[in-house]
Amino acid sequence: MATKPKKFVFGLKADRQLDGDKMNSDFVKKVVAEGGKSAAIASCMQCGTCSGGCTNIDPMDMSPRTLILMVQRGEWEKVLKSNALWLCSSCYICTSRCPRGVRPSDVIEAVKAIAIRQGIENDSTRFNQIFVELIQKRGILFEPELMQKYGGLEAMLEQAELGIKLALKGKMSPFPDKIKEPQKFSQALEKAKQP
Amino acid sequence: MKYSYYPGCSLHTTAKEFDISTKVVMQELGIELEELKDWSCCGGSVAAGVSHDVGMAMAARNVALAQKQNLDLLASCSGCYNKSARAAKALKDPTEKDRIMAIMSEMGLSVSDYNIRVRNVVDVLANDVDIASRIKKPLTGLKVACYYGCLLTRPADITGWDSPIFPMSMDKLSEICGAEVVDFRSKTKCCGGPILVSKQDVAFDLTKKLLDEAKSLGADSIVLACPLCDTNLELRQPDIEKKYNVSYNLPIIYITELIGLALGIKPGKLGLQKHLVSTKNLLKKLGL
Repeated sequence: MATKPKKFVFGLKADRQLDGDKMNSDFVKKVVAEGGKSAAIASCMQCGTCSGGCTNIDPMDMSPRTLILMVQRGEWEKVLKSNALWLCSSCYICTSRCPRGVRPSDVIEAVKAIAIRQGIENDSTRFNQIFVELIQKRGILFEPELMQKYGGLEAMLEQAELGIKLALKGKMSPFPDKIKEPQKFSQALEKAKQP
Repeated sequence: MKYSYYPGCSLHTTAKEFDISTKVVMQELGIELEELKDWSCCGGSVAAGVSHDVGMAMAARNVALAQKQNLDLLASCSGCYNKSARAAKALKDPTEKDRIMAIMSEMGLSVSDYNIRVRNVVDVLANDVDIASRIKKPLTGLKVACYYGCLLTRPADITGWDSPIFPMSMDKLSEICGAEVVDFRSKTKCCGGPILVSKQDVAFDLTKKLLDEAKSLGADSIVLACPLCDTNLELRQPDIEKKYNVSYNLPIIYITELIGLALGIKPGKLGLQKHLVSTKNLLKKLGL
């Protein structure tokens, strides 16, 4: 007869337990190195206030609370594969409410950057990277170009109606704007991107 | 009072009326705005999630430019305000300062001492000026839902001038203007702005909840201060109506437009004709 999986006192699943033997601080260190201010990860007491307030928790495969725990435990694979990273809209409700000053929004932000550097690819990573590239290029975002680079011709056509309406109201210029010295700006940021 | 005014990408394009109404209202109130010279994009909520240093440097550049102009930075857009304020805070933090300043000196910007403040237009309007005595046309009979979204008041250690959980500054401003303010429970729930493109269905879901509540409360309009929220609530309103087979036809206006109307400024001068969801009925209700 198969033995029942061992449960923690409160019925917490084994993979949700904070087990000293399983802790691996590498991930925490890396997150702190990326985000700086995320140093308070260790003080998370798993109260779940972040998850309770999260606007967008429903479609997430891992709640903000679990995500912080997985970062603490060093479960790289689980965290980097989680869709929670890309469903988080950085609205800072969790960060405002956290009684321990953990700043889950900033932790997630740092983990996103690590995930992109580790080669995680999906629609969100692609969009975020194109977004940054285009700002880097001229210093000022040109939205039609963003749509075209991200969604191709299909997106352009889909958005054409809105684009025309905006143009008629004088709210969409067909020409991009730029700062005075975009090259210098771009080079400095490119250098900063390198780990 | 004089500020270096940072419009940001959106206020020059999709949120033109926010730019126009900010300038007109500030002028009316005797606050001088000098546009931040050579400003660049703040990187929004996205850039720091690609690289923390890149995001911080993008936002910090504008703070450095304002410091060079030696004027407090004033942003209307919640995103531009929040990211600039975050960068300004980091520039005073010894653990972050050097990393950011190194990137900025590569850009050819070397400002070492920072003493300017980063302000949002709602903060200035609610806390610095006396609007009540200048009301010429009370907006009697107008019912509004004030929507704060995320970045205007959160996180509190970056913003700090209104509650991050239950903000009231725009509610109070609207009441001063004579409008009736509904108890909008979702006022700080996120609209899904930063994930609109990559996770459109999810963002539409979040935005729909906001429109549903505002509509059920009988609001004539949602009043806000963020161009990204406006993109979801107004520019994408027809898409949401189509997707869920509902009809809202709910005008979305900026707080500066609302105040401008109460100050007796003509709607055309505030840019109210530039909205994609028509503000005609709203203006008719006010007899304008």
